[in-house]
Amino acid sequence: MGTLFVAGLSHHTAPIEMRELLALESDKLREILADVTGAGGLPEAMILATCNRVEAYGVAEVPTEARDAVFARLGAHRGVAPATVAPLLYTHVEDEAVRHAFRVAASLDSMVLGEPQILGQVKDAFSLAQAVGTVGPVLHSLMSRAFGVAKKVRTETEIGRLAVSIPFAAVELARKIFGRLDGKAVLLVGAGEMSELAARHLVDHGASPVYVTNRTWGRAQELARSLAGVAVPFEDLHATLAMVDIAITSTAAPEPLIRAAGVRDALHARRERPLFLIDIGVPRNVEAAVNQLDNAFCYDVDDLRAVVEANLRERQREAQRALAIIEREAQQFAARLAELDVVPTIVSLREKLEAIRRAELDKALGRLPDADGETRRVMEALSQAIVNKVLHAPTVKLRDSSRAGHGRRFVELISEVFGLGGPGRGPGRRGPEA
Amino acid sequence: MNATLYDVALTAYIVATAAALGYLVRRSDWLSRLSVVTTQFGWVCHTVALVVRGVEVGRPPIATLPEIVSMVIWATVFLELWAERQYQMKVLGAFVLPVVLVLGLALPTGLRALVPTPAIKSAWVWVHVVLALLGLAALVLNFAGAVMYLLQERQLKAKRPGTVYYRLPSLETLDRVSFRALSLGFPFLTAGLLLGVLWAHAAWGSVFAFDPVALLSIGMWVVYAATLSGRATGVWRGRRAAYFAIAGFGALLLMLGVGVVVQGRHAL
Repeated sequence: MGTLFVAGLSHHTAPIEMRELLALESDKLREILADVTGAGGLPEAMILATCNRVEAYGVAEVPTEARDAVFARLGAHRGVAPATVAPLLYTHVEDEAVRHAFRVAASLDSMVLGEPQILGQVKDAFSLAQAVGTVGPVLHSLMSRAFGVAKKVRTETEIGRLAVSIPFAAVELARKIFGRLDGKAVLLVGAGEMSELAARHLVDHGASPVYVTNRTWGRAQELARSLAGVAVPFEDLHATLAMVDIAITSTAAPEPLIRAAGVRDALHARRERPLFLIDIGVPRNVEAAVNQLDNAFCYDVDDLRAVVEANLRERQREAQRALAIIEREAQQFAARLAELDVVPTIVSLREKLEAIRRAELDKALGRLPDADGETRRVMEALSQAIVNKVLHAPTVKLRDSSRAGHGRRFVELISEVFGLGGPGRGPGRRGPEA
Repeated sequence: MNATLYDVALTAYIVATAAALGYLVRRSDWLSRLSVVTTQFGWVCHTVALVVRGVEVGRPPIATLPEIVSMVIWATVFLELWAERQYQMKVLGAFVLPVVLVLGLALPTGLRALVPTPAIKSAWVWVHVVLALLGLAALVLNFAGAVMYLLQERQLKAKRPGTVYYRLPSLETLDRVSFRALSLGFPFLTAGLLLGVLWAHAAWGSVFAFDPVALLSIGMWVVYAATLSGRATGVWRGRRAAYFAIAGFGALLLMLGVGVVVQGRHAL
């Protein structure tokens, strides 16, 4: 009978240099998985290796041994001694392992809360282990449930939805002002990675058309092409401002290019429909006074950073709700896992008693050759009733004890007392239905 | 019987308001669900209370001004439940229900007092009242939308996201909801007031003499008319329209309050 465990290191416990050394490619992981499970004592195993964590999930008789075996092999490839790795490892078993698995899959253990990549990475690790054949019923149901819980957390909390990068924050703000961005026109002034990214995100959300202007005409045309927009001469900047809803500025101009007067004119021309200015330039390209104007919203880099920080804090708050969901799910899953511990033993016990019954019944009937149908039926019923009554108490006791959390003790006891040939060696141990 | 039912309805509205405000702050889903369910429950009790009242007095419960206030609340709650679902705005309750409560608790809604039946036989009066109060209910939503707009706009201008920023939808949505509520309510209000004016002229000769409610109603109507035309021509939107919505609502409260307190020809 194995114990569910997870052991590994993550960005919480180990520096990137160490994580890099242990995060091996899939084919190496395949080898290692086949290797460690072949030796016995580790019926199920899975390895999750990303830039932020290297973890081994599995079912083992002695989790610590299994953990050491896996990490010794992981380290061997790049010459990392087990002694170096050991202090960085954490190990969780049973309920804690379930909780950890759910938290990781739901991105609650990630460097950036709510990041979307981890779920795909866990799924890939799971597929890999399945391909090697080291996924058994327990890991299968654990991971399936983990994927379900991750999805639930993402839909029921805001944890993944708030922007935590400046370009995304700009888009989020635009949507707070304009609602849907379809048909909202964008003007990009200047160039730069962040501003281009922001423009691209806006376009992805439906913003159009896109105007691009730059002191250098060639650059404007180039950018316009890549954004499927229109290049505009730099002199027409203010005229274009009146035609757009969102303006992104990112130039190296030493003085503000867009001043309050210009924005006031643009607003007037737009009949006071809101104008959103994203000023990524340092020094700022938009005069600070612009934000005082009615219906004009101007955010500079510091403001955007403040939004990102506020979002991160909000994600933390959402994380609390997510943790509550995970706690509930983990408890439910752990209870089912515990209960299923005892089923093979119950089945074994039944089979053993049934075998005894059959043997004795045949022997007895053999000594009564003249027994008629009625006698046979009565003897059959009698033996069956005796077996059922005998089985009743142990079965109930096993189920109750598993629910109370100490099923294992009774499983071992009953297996020994009835000579069932060792725990967990009953026919086909089935994992809990996910 | 209707008094008890109405008390139950009001209590349900109080619970719903607390839950809605709690949801605004703590954002836990069960608070939102609690708010909606208690609102619905309260509204059903309210409906039954109105029906029972109508049966008791042998006429629709829209004759005395206190009764009308109750009907305004009833219609407003219904509209709020509908709009919340329609626009997926779980926070709408937090802004509309407090207004409903203020109206319901601060003004005597007179479903208890058995006020002597007014000597009005004309059916036009009922129609006047029904139309006017449907208009008023929509205008409560217009007010709530305006308040939400101003709050959200202030957050966006301050550039430091707070609780409100996360809970409220976009400025565009809020502006649109406000506008829709105004467009919905204004025709009803106009038709209702028009009927009232015509009937008053027929019944009393002069419309305005000694009737503060009628005067205030016209004043309120003017504010809303200005807002609507300003919005429709695109001259006013966003913040300015929101201010007008609040002004209009102020006039509305004044009209209702005065009507209940001052026993002019309107209150019976």
